[in-house]
Amino acid sequence: MSELGARETILHAVRAARPPAVSLPAPRIAPALASGQPSLLDAFAAAAMAAGAAVVIAARDEVSRLALGADLTPRNVLSTVAEVRTTVPPSQDPHALDSLDLFVADSPLGVAENGAVWVATSDVMHRAALFLATRVVIVVDAATIVPTLHDAYARIDVRAHPFGAFVAGPSKTADIEQSLVIGAHGPKELTVIVIGTNGESGAQQASRR
Amino acid sequence: MSQRSFELPVLGRPTPVDHPKAAREFNADVARTDWHDESLWFVREKRDRAAASVPEWEELRARASAIKEHALTHLDEYLVQFEANALANGMQVHWARDADEHNRIVHGILSEAGARRLVKSKSMLTEECGLNPYLEANGIEVIDSDLGERIVQLRREGPSHIVMPAIHLKKEEVGATFHEHLGTPEGLSEPNALAGVAREHLREKFLAADATLTGMNFAVAESGGFVVCTNEGNADLGMALAPVHIASVGIEKVIPRVEDLAVFLRLLARSATGQAVTVYTTHVHGPRAGQALHVVLVDNGRTKQLAREEFWGSLKCIRCGACMNTCPIYRRSGGHSYGSTVPGPIGSVLTPGLDLERYASLPFASTLCGSCTAVCPVKIDLDRQLFRWRQHVTEAGHTPRAKTFAIKTSVALFDRPRLFRAAGALARFGLRLMPGFIARMASGPWGRTRDVPPAPSQSFRAWYRTNRPERP
Repeated sequence: MSELGARETILHAVRAARPPAVSLPAPRIAPALASGQPSLLDAFAAAAMAAGAAVVIAARDEVSRLALGADLTPRNVLSTVAEVRTTVPPSQDPHALDSLDLFVADSPLGVAENGAVWVATSDVMHRAALFLATRVVIVVDAATIVPTLHDAYARIDVRAHPFGAFVAGPSKTADIEQSLVIGAHGPKELTVIVIGTNGESGAQQASRR
Repeated sequence: MSQRSFELPVLGRPTPVDHPKAAREFNADVARTDWHDESLWFVREKRDRAAASVPEWEELRARASAIKEHALTHLDEYLVQFEANALANGMQVHWARDADEHNRIVHGILSEAGARRLVKSKSMLTEECGLNPYLEANGIEVIDSDLGERIVQLRREGPSHIVMPAIHLKKEEVGATFHEHLGTPEGLSEPNALAGVAREHLREKFLAADATLTGMNFAVAESGGFVVCTNEGNADLGMALAPVHIASVGIEKVIPRVEDLAVFLRLLARSATGQAVTVYTTHVHGPRAGQALHVVLVDNGRTKQLAREEFWGSLKCIRCGACMNTCPIYRRSGGHSYGSTVPGPIGSVLTPGLDLERYASLPFASTLCGSCTAVCPVKIDLDRQLFRWRQHVTEAGHTPRAKTFAIKTSVALFDRPRLFRAAGALARFGLRLMPGFIARMASGPWGRTRDVPPAPSQSFRAWYRTNRPERP
């Protein structure tokens, strides 16, 4: 059985089976915004915290202090933001990041309805670090937060990189008796640093859950 | 617990699935049945809260349904478009007519790469194809990396739910399994501790893997990419580390546009677990540098289902599992009682098409209450499809003999007024003498746990004659 044979057989079977055509509706749905809706930033912070993330609203010059943490100096750090220094030696093998303590990256976009941030990269090390690091810090500008996933897809280009992900909270599982366990295979902590707009900087701390 | 060993769907003539019998065995442990019921209902309630938080929920469902219907009624075009764009993105595309062809393709890719250790993330398609036993027989180590799937894999069981594979197990049972296979202390059953051990165990497997296999939640024709949703990050660790990535997908998973993802992703996690979105919603649009990425498009009965005028709508399914969580039968009989890869209402409409005789009992594993249809994010008319399958099962003569006899007898009685009256008199007499026996005779399994009301002294017809003498 050749590959071509299978392809043609399946496509032929699909054509023979096709039910009467249904037209394609528009993908976008205007969100029904209720009055008294919280601000996008408030909604984003609430959703991200519900997903288990810590959310900090801060100024850009506070990123380093907040990312490294007050009481610990992580040894193995990989960072894509200028404010935090990478300490792990350069490598092209993602396996080398197994003992990564901290990964810090910028995100171009946050989603208010679900607290997710978009992280996309062509760099094999950055991609692996997002999942191998014990602690992940994502920096996102408050001005880039959009209401829904419809708005998000209108702004991102999923084809720009081989990898792109919405990330909402640290990795988790509830596979044993529906008990929530934070830190399944990937990061045990996710901190989202939101760079505040006017009047919102100054490490306004949203406490964790 | 019944231990369901893996079976190859291609071997021999398997015995028919007897759902009522399997459900009866499950129900023998009343406390456990209640616990299972409540666990699933808890998830259903989380789904309700998540759905209620989105004012445009019903509009999203209608839109999702229409997009899927459009995609399925133009499926050949979108498959060709997906293939062309995936190739342009640097992926290799394979086509498999059935489970056996899929398994051989996967094994071929692994052999060519010299891969001996495969780490998988959740893929109901590969369960359906019996991939694990096939590869193991060919000397490949296969590790399911989703925690629930790893638990059932260690126990040599199949998943009992498509989203929560180990929902049928208590933490003590998971603890015992880990004690046996992963060397945890005897009696350790605290979920955090067990998950921590699994994390260490599976991290080693991720780092050592020669290849990884994932499913796809959505394949996007327009962009030639695909989306994989997980909470654990297991699919991502596999994809980010292994030099070979195989992504297996049923042909019905293709959607037209990137923007359609918003519609489906807003529905998927909310319907599945009540989360606004899964932790990781990963978009793959090509292999990472130095990696080989293979896509396997699998038919395995899907074109047959597409050709069924009454049932093609079942292919809209996005595998959220909401129909299982809400189903009063699933909650009280457990996923293994269905004897099919996909259990619950959606499994009971997808599976009979594969082998009507073998799965004849599944369309009857429903009260036809329609709760599944009410929660389905893509508006599959599950209760109607279940009802239609019952008619096909009956026409093909696959109903149990006692049931066929009872129905035929009823028809004969209802057709003959005099005989009906005589039978009624006999039944009233019999019920007074031996109520339990008659009840069991008349109602089958229903009578087993129910009392019959006292027999009336006269028939309705006689009562009407006496009390409404002025009317004909």
